[in-house]
Amino acid sequence: MLAKLALKSLLDRKGSVVLSLMAMTVSIFVLLGVEHVRNQTKENFSNTVSGVDLIVGARTGSLNLLLYSVFRIGSPTNNIQWESYKNITNSDQVKWAIPISLGDSHKGYRVLGTTQDYFKHFNYGKQHNLMFSKGREFNQLFDLVLGADVAQQLDYKLGDKVALAHGIAATSFSMHDDRPFTVVGILAATGTPVDQTLHVSLQGIEAIHIDWQQGVKTHHNAISQKAFEQLKLQPKSITAFMLGLKSKMATFRFQRTINEYPQEPLVAILPGVALSELWQMMSVLENTLLLVSALVFVAACLGVSAMLLASIRERRREIHLLRVIGAPPYFLFLLIQFEALLITLLSCVFGAGILACSLLFLQDYLVSHFGLHIEMNFFTEQSLYLMAAMISASIIVAVIPSFSGYRQASAIKS
Amino acid sequence: MAIELSNIRFHYSDQPDHTVLNIPFWSLADGEHVFIHGPSGCGKSTLLGLLSGLLTPSNGQVTVLGQRLDKMNSRQRDRFRATHIGYVFQQFNLIPYLNAIDNVLLATQFSKKKKTNALIPEIKTLFNALNISEKEWYKPTGELSVGQQQRVAIARALINKPQLLIADEPTSSLDAANRDAFMKLLMPIVTDNKMTLLFVSHDLSLSSYFNKVESLIDINLLEESE
Repeated sequence: MLAKLALKSLLDRKGSVVLSLMAMTVSIFVLLGVEHVRNQTKENFSNTVSGVDLIVGARTGSLNLLLYSVFRIGSPTNNIQWESYKNITNSDQVKWAIPISLGDSHKGYRVLGTTQDYFKHFNYGKQHNLMFSKGREFNQLFDLVLGADVAQQLDYKLGDKVALAHGIAATSFSMHDDRPFTVVGILAATGTPVDQTLHVSLQGIEAIHIDWQQGVKTHHNAISQKAFEQLKLQPKSITAFMLGLKSKMATFRFQRTINEYPQEPLVAILPGVALSELWQMMSVLENTLLLVSALVFVAACLGVSAMLLASIRERRREIHLLRVIGAPPYFLFLLIQFEALLITLLSCVFGAGILACSLLFLQDYLVSHFGLHIEMNFFTEQSLYLMAAMISASIIVAVIPSFSGYRQASAIKS
Repeated sequence: MAIELSNIRFHYSDQPDHTVLNIPFWSLADGEHVFIHGPSGCGKSTLLGLLSGLLTPSNGQVTVLGQRLDKMNSRQRDRFRATHIGYVFQQFNLIPYLNAIDNVLLATQFSKKKKTNALIPEIKTLFNALNISEKEWYKPTGELSVGQQQRVAIARALINKPQLLIADEPTSSLDAANRDAFMKLLMPIVTDNKMTLLFVSHDLSLSSYFNKVESLIDINLLEESE
């Protein structure tokens, strides 16, 4: 009867109830949405690289190495000798290795020199391989593979000629324009820094620097395209490399071996650990976002309570009637609590429903425009806790109008 | 005795100097039908509040159906009211957004009576006895006419088979024809069920239906200074 009375009384006051319900729905949608996106971003972030056991670079801080090797942010402290790379990767513990050579750019986008192993072994997300939306991987000296964002932003198509720039500034005065690259492949969007990277072979990087001295172009284009291909373009150094090991168990031991590598000061990091360290630094932002959405929710709770409080004045005679037929004052307290609970529960259902619909329709858009891989499944244990917390919060806030109803009921003057 | 009041004094807690009721003694025998009249402001609502246990006297004893209301706590008084007293007002007798059946059912929720679905046939019988047609049973009572609402209100007041029925100006919002129909419906039911009836109204023309007529001014002995 309590439930029926609460439901019918809400239906009787459709106008104000629907508005409160909408405010509540929007706030629950925002809160659940923010929480879901936050978790997904965190997960995507910590999976910017996956399947890579160690990243090795010249000795530096682990975050610095992570930033320049994975996120292409900042500059490497030093290069690694090609011999060191060869020595380490020749170990029988190593399953595969991806060398990385950075230092050039194109219109602000970093150029990554690597090998074809990159396309074979580099993973992101939950062990997703890099996929080509168009074309193929590089196999000629001046072949170029673009990340999804680069291709989209600069409007490049397969077959376009692209000149790389020396250094990493967005506007560069020293161009490798004498030896342009040809776009042969465009990668599908990944939501990782790969999207903002141009990929060429290590030999390609060597080739464009072949007649450079001390970072300056010397003008004698004597070497022809043909001659290049006959030259042995062995890199003398690389920036960093990623390792896959045969046994995960050996990771720490192998890390130690690299850290103590006698010929050169090197450091090996576990990308997962370094990524979560980096994420920790962003937790302030993350928490602020959650705080703001929690405040939006509290505002909606207060709105519902204000609506219920106002209704108590309208319902003075109804409360009197209930008292006369024998309803104790706590019945009125429960009735108003129940009305608040109904509004919150309905809003939870609507909010979650709208979130599910928006995810369904926006998933592709988010991937292609923001590189955000948001999964549909937001009903995690955490979001259920969040909803339980929201319901509790609304019950607590609804104590205000409920108590007012209780007092109205106890202080009856016939 | 259905009702026995002695040495009653009542003032509202926010106005301790203003005595609203001063009743040295008043009683009503079981099964009596009393008509109480009086000008507005003479304490009618307060008296009914005391008798139904919504209010407690500042001083004195209130005995209803042999039980001391002034000695009960508020929970006990609520339960007593729900079980033993039927109440009909001038207006707003019903929750307007519930239908007639739910309104009557609601009144059974707070009494000691069994709360089962067996009540539904009982309610329907009662509705038939009160000439409430079936098409009005499931409409929100806010959509019924005033006359129909008052009949549903009687059904609501009678469902718990109370020994005491209090009617607080129940005919004031009805026209002459409806008023007579209301009285002709109410009086036999009250007599048949051997209920005690306390009927308050300022409409003296109704007094012919009653065997006992009293003026509240004669019961409530307020001194000039009060």
